[in-house]
Amino acid sequence: MNKIILLSIGLLSFSCFAEATQNTQADSVTGAKTWSTQSHGVYFSLTQILPEQARAFYVNRGFSLKQIEPYASSCVYMTVLRNDKAAGKIHFVSNNWTLLVNGKPQALLTVNEWLQRLQKASAKKSALIAFRWAQFPPEQEYEPGGDWNQGMLSMGLPANKKFDIVARWDIAGKQVKATLKGVRCAK
Amino acid sequence: MLNNLTAPIIFISAVFFSGHIYADGLPPLTHKLTVIKKTIKAPALRLKNLDGDVVDLKNFRGKVVLVNFWATWCPPCRREMGSLERLHQATKDKNVEVLAVNIGEDVETVFSFLGTVEPSPYFQMLFDTEANSMKTWKVNGLPTTYIINKDGTIAYRAVGGREFDHPNIIKSILELTK
Repeated sequence: MNKIILLSIGLLSFSCFAEATQNTQADSVTGAKTWSTQSHGVYFSLTQILPEQARAFYVNRGFSLKQIEPYASSCVYMTVLRNDKAAGKIHFVSNNWTLLVNGKPQALLTVNEWLQRLQKASAKKSALIAFRWAQFPPEQEYEPGGDWNQGMLSMGLPANKKFDIVARWDIAGKQVKATLKGVRCAK
Repeated sequence: MLNNLTAPIIFISAVFFSGHIYADGLPPLTHKLTVIKKTIKAPALRLKNLDGDVVDLKNFRGKVVLVNFWATWCPPCRREMGSLERLHQATKDKNVEVLAVNIGEDVETVFSFLGTVEPSPYFQMLFDTEANSMKTWKVNGLPTTYIINKDGTIAYRAVGGREFDHPNIIKSILELTK
């Protein structure tokens, strides 16, 4: 009986550990790093977008280099959140996510704040539409079984800065979080 | 300054658009549709197509209609486009219509992209240059797809890229035609 209890505790511990495992990998072509984790049936990852990649992408969407430079050099990630097998529909507001820089919490710059800055820089309307919809959604709901998005998320940090990020979402009013530790901005 | 940067920008763009920044860890395209249990009427959709003709969703009443919101710069949108055409080929003679709504781009950009898709899409491409339908259809991210019943109500929704030619999805859509 004791053996069964110990085995159960062991399996439970392993399961909890596995749930929170963080992986890091580098793309063999670009060298861009990805940090990812699975938490409560939800996959969360950040992939570095190099400043020159962000510049190229947005210049092709109609921005000038001068207009897009503050964003391109603000530590941008291709962000993926996917509801693989959570207990139900998840809902998040990315403005509720927290950056920890040197252990101190810091809010993310919102998509609207970036849009306002770019509008002030006289960006074209078509470029602003592309910018808005290329960003990771500020608010979204995902049903289990594979609803997901892939979009850009700016951390508002300088090159090579190290930080942790806490992503939060709720399922039926209960808040759940996933943390990626030791994420580094591209150089 | 721009001239000095043009070549690297073109190269980097090619890498970016080819999906190489995700090459080692592409998120999988899934094949589950969310059933919409409430009776929700599909919002209006009236846009120009590649030929400049106006296409109105309400004219497809009596058909099952797949409405896909997308953009050429959206990696999962690009990845699922071929599977949308394979779905189109499998269902076009079975009372199913596919409408792809491009967000914020011009005809030339879309036409140029479509030439790279295999198989080449033959379904309707519509243009929402002002992105107005994103609000009326409550789309928070691209791609998002709705499948509309013959009576104009929403049957399914899919947020994020899908393999639309997956047998489960084709079966779900064909069942709506009965």
